[in-house]
Amino acid sequence: MSAQDCEMQESGLLAELPGDPMIWVLIFSELAVFGLLLGAFAVARAVNPVIFASGQAVLDAGLAALNTLVLVTSGWAAARGAAAARTRAAAACRRWLVLAIALGCVFVAIKLLEYAGEIATGAGLETSTFFTLYFLLTGFHLLHVVLGMVILAVVQRGAEPGAVETGTSFWHMVDLVWVLMFPIIYLVR
Amino acid sequence: MNARHPLETTLVLLIGLAIATLIAARSLPVAWLSNVVVLGFAALKGRAILLDFLGLRAAPAIWRGLVTAWVLGLASFAWAASAARLLI
Repeated sequence: MSAQDCEMQESGLLAELPGDPMIWVLIFSELAVFGLLLGAFAVARAVNPVIFASGQAVLDAGLAALNTLVLVTSGWAAARGAAAARTRAAAACRRWLVLAIALGCVFVAIKLLEYAGEIATGAGLETSTFFTLYFLLTGFHLLHVVLGMVILAVVQRGAEPGAVETGTSFWHMVDLVWVLMFPIIYLVR
Repeated sequence: MNARHPLETTLVLLIGLAIATLIAARSLPVAWLSNVVVLGFAALKGRAILLDFLGLRAAPAIWRGLVTAWVLGLASFAWAASAARLLI
């Protein structure tokens, strides 16, 4: 049995997902970690309702909503890039992925602006349980946004369909996590 | 004829739901109802992303179901935790 046959057998059902099967091992691991962290945040809010309500009042839900619009639009551009890569339209693929990366930069800029506003009010990692979890969760997500932008920048150079699908799958995972993180942290009362 | 690309339809849906989420959170006076609406909208957004952007619509049902379960499970858990607090 060749090494390629072994790899095919190991991939199994994962081979039927878009992109490299190994990116899906990473995606499922990330979803599990973010799920646990967001679940812990929800439980901590149930235990400390007053601290969490006062912490949430400091946050700018409008900026976070704007970031949702930016990230889902970036996800759309990435999906268009993957569709272009599948039809071997390399130039179009690169344009879409560059747009997705640019919108990722906008997300990071808005998030940093938001952090600056919160820190200016005296909020910090050790201010309260709310802010400890808030900075850890959103900071961890922000790191994934930056990593996703690096991955998109790498795969857009070759515009090879498999690589582009692998990179955009990671990007959509980051998008998916944010659409749940936004209401759980900023809006749920 | 210039038909709209299916991905554009998903984008319009996601933008509409994102705006509706913020409006609902700021206008609904009852906390539990507001929580149901914003988390319900989040689940719908998540489902749209996993089906159309992540491309799981064409994937085996087990993977689509697994990621959908993550979305619905997390949204439900967050709502249940907030409801438990409101009951105390």
